[in-house]
Amino acid sequence: MVREVSESCVDSLMTEMVACYCNRFYANKPELAARRIEAIGYQVGQQLSERYTMERPRFGDHLEAIKFICKDFWSEVFKKQIDNLKTNHRGTFVLQDNKFPWLARMSVDPSADNVSSVEDYSAPTAESKAAQAMSMHLYFPCGIIRGALSNLGIPCAVSADISSLPACSFVVRIKA
Amino acid sequence: MIVCVAVVGHQNNPLYIQSFTEADDALKLHHIVHCSLDVVDERVNNPKKSGPMLNETFLGMLYPIENYKVYGYLTNTKVKFILVTTDLDVKDADVRNFFRRFHSAYVDAVSNPFHVPGKKITSRTFAERVSTIVKSFGFSSAA
Repeated sequence: MVREVSESCVDSLMTEMVACYCNRFYANKPELAARRIEAIGYQVGQQLSERYTMERPRFGDHLEAIKFICKDFWSEVFKKQIDNLKTNHRGTFVLQDNKFPWLARMSVDPSADNVSSVEDYSAPTAESKAAQAMSMHLYFPCGIIRGALSNLGIPCAVSADISSLPACSFVVRIKA
Repeated sequence: MIVCVAVVGHQNNPLYIQSFTEADDALKLHHIVHCSLDVVDERVNNPKKSGPMLNETFLGMLYPIENYKVYGYLTNTKVKFILVTTDLDVKDADVRNFFRRFHSAYVDAVSNPFHVPGKKITSRTFAERVSTIVKSFGFSSAA
């Protein structure tokens, strides 16, 4: 029996989790909220990597493991593959997703834009607020990648960049 | 008959160990499992010896000792499964099948959100599932 998960439920759960941690549990401490969300992602990543690597041979090197994350792991979780993978061959990998599903339904609040255009001094805050809200949603997938890789025996640090909205890239730095 | 199964974490920490004998020889079986960890390390670090089955999760028979045969399995996440059996003519396919079912039981157990990664598996459901798998192994090899 193949068990499936409703995509919209996961989307809503994700939004609600981020909102809950940012606005309720750690309302004035975004760093703590970020760390908690990342930790949840870490555990999810560990468990998913255990499941998705079940019927495959062990990985020979780091690149193989990263390729697994880009292809099989990403298609199991998001039903698509990573669009672009770059590496400097010295332990840094950039995984670019041109249409990251968890950002696909996100937009900058237009009312906030209007307000900011009227009152000049609040312009940077509206934009930076939007950027901060978006980056909060990326701590969870960062944690998933870090959890999956460290469970495969590759300790690393993962950060995320938002270039233009539904696209985003994850930077994986492998600890020597 | 399978007399002992064990799950050993990536730092060689025991996660689950269960013997299935009437006699009071649990310590002896634990000792056998303990010794097998060195053999696993040797197999993994000297891939020349393992030849064609390079990087396969199933490690085959690790070593025979007294009346037992010890089989090993190493997952991608560096978790080792050890199987001790008294059967002398075991088919590899049976053991592979056993490990595959055991692995999926293990995955389900660690996916429990209340399980702490790296800690012993205390789930009763997991224990029941393992003993079912162990019993059915005896049947399939007898048939």
